[in-house]
Amino acid sequence: MTAVIEPMDPGRVDQTLEAVHRHATRLLTQAPGLPRRVRVRAGDVSVELEWPVVESGQATTATTVAAPVAAPVASGPLATEETVSEQVSQIRAPMVGVFYRAPEPGAKPFVSEGDLVEPGQQVGIVEAMKLMVPIEADQHGRIVEILVANGESVEYDQPLFTVAPLEVE
Amino acid sequence: MFRRVLIANRGEIALRVARACRELGVETVAVYSTEDADSAVVRYADQAVRIGPGPARRSYSNIPAIIEAARLSGADAIHPGYGFLSEDPDFAEVCEAEGFVFIGPPASVLARLGDKSDARAQMAAAGLPMLPGTPEPVESVEEAEAAAANIGFPLIIKAVAGGGGRGMRIVETPEDLADAFAQTRADALALFGDGRVYLERYLRSARHVEIQILADQYGNAVSLGARDCSVQRRRQKLVEETPPPGVPASVVEEMGKDAVRGALAVDYVGAGTFEFLVDDENRYYFMEINCRIQVEHPVTEMVTGVDLVAEQLRIAAGEPLSLRQEDIVPRGAAIECRVNAEDPARGFIPTPGRLERFHTPAGPFVRVDTHAEPGYRIPPTYDPLLAKVIVWGPDRDTAIRRMARALGEFQIEGPGVRNTVDFLSRVLRDERFRTGVHRTNLVDTLFAESEAD
Repeated sequence: MTAVIEPMDPGRVDQTLEAVHRHATRLLTQAPGLPRRVRVRAGDVSVELEWPVVESGQATTATTVAAPVAAPVASGPLATEETVSEQVSQIRAPMVGVFYRAPEPGAKPFVSEGDLVEPGQQVGIVEAMKLMVPIEADQHGRIVEILVANGESVEYDQPLFTVAPLEVE
Repeated sequence: MFRRVLIANRGEIALRVARACRELGVETVAVYSTEDADSAVVRYADQAVRIGPGPARRSYSNIPAIIEAARLSGADAIHPGYGFLSEDPDFAEVCEAEGFVFIGPPASVLARLGDKSDARAQMAAAGLPMLPGTPEPVESVEEAEAAAANIGFPLIIKAVAGGGGRGMRIVETPEDLADAFAQTRADALALFGDGRVYLERYLRSARHVEIQILADQYGNAVSLGARDCSVQRRRQKLVEETPPPGVPASVVEEMGKDAVRGALAVDYVGAGTFEFLVDDENRYYFMEINCRIQVEHPVTEMVTGVDLVAEQLRIAAGEPLSLRQEDIVPRGAAIECRVNAEDPARGFIPTPGRLERFHTPAGPFVRVDTHAEPGYRIPPTYDPLLAKVIVWGPDRDTAIRRMARALGEFQIEGPGVRNTVDFLSRVLRDERFRTGVHRTNLVDTLFAESEAD
């Protein structure tokens, strides 16, 4: 038996993604702070943003905003949870040394995959001769992948994190 | 012997050290900045670690980065080459503290000899001849004037922490002393963070002659003859040769004995160079000690047959010197020309760029130490040394003819790239150089003459 997969018109997918991307960006720029999570779906076309709500010591009650998009999608669900932006960037080692994900052994990591980061936010440490050099995000984005394990040696400029940038104006 | 050596340098010397390691069966680790990612030593070495961006203070002179690279690569010793961290006592100390052998003198020796005033005092105590000058740093204009009355004019004011021709001023007359003193102190403070200066008689017509020594950890030391480095431009050497023309062998022998005595007096370990000035009557005066392998070390290797870098490695690994003084019998003459990516027509400004053509000399008794090749991009970030051409001959005349032939074969081309080959050829043709009567002012004289044309 042969399965025939109808290829989608790449131009239309791009258009849809671009429209979704524009919506997400507009919502982000209007939002009061950075959301905890951004979910973009191109199949059923939806954009979901979640904010942590801090109320009487209780964190992370979610607010969801859904935005419909006019452009229809050809066929089949196309879930693209991470594609807020098509190009990804990298956060690189500021120095040769040992990479750490957390401020101290056993502590919660600075960031995990899927987290959103903002410019200047610490995401890790490189230790060189007892000198702790902070690694910081240089733009708004989502941590897509952590490329180096905790405690591994890294070279200068070695990619440590893959980040999907978010355009926040 | 070591298992794995990290080479904390770049350019031709990094490759030179890596080759010595390979011949000794020692694994090599290159370190490099982002500017040098495509360099020859990165490909040649068994491992390579990227340690930082272009600026040396964040890469080749960055102590934590070098140490981390050594740890990461599993090196057991670090060769610092020349320049960068090669004579930094802090670096030597950190290496030892972190469990890596520093291939050079101990930190305490580097600290004492790096202070020129201290080094002079120790060498004077060891009986080496000194130029009239102030044994201690001079603190005030009044003190400087009193000292100058004894030293005489012209004199030179030198920064205690200075080197490489920086932080010094020649004073011709007593009237200029106060200003020059204040300016040199200010320069020294700005350049080296240490404003102390001392005064010394200035020899207008002198030769720069240096003695190569090797000393092991067990109180054995030998000298390996003398090099003349009088062809200089602003104290940057352009041509070096051995034996020094016009200096009698008996004088070279005396200088060698003095250098060995000086080295033993300060518990020196490793390869080192004692610099002297030699006046027209062949009287010599101690200047300073360079506690590293030097750019011009190949000329000594050519006439002695001793691989100085291999000896550095053996000494640092704790082996006793296998050479005795009577084993060292220099034979013939050797010359080195430094080919820089500089434009002599524009005051020797560096000319970085990409080499489209790079064809090195070859043939009998010619050695070329270089990291460059066709397609190599000369970065603007570092010193402009592109290649060292070294030749050997049974006598000085043959060596000069051979060098002229070799330089004539050198082809270096690239957009915007200039080089010093033609200028070096002009030095070789000069009658004063050919007859060996030139002094440290030859290059300035050549320029004055070409302007007069």
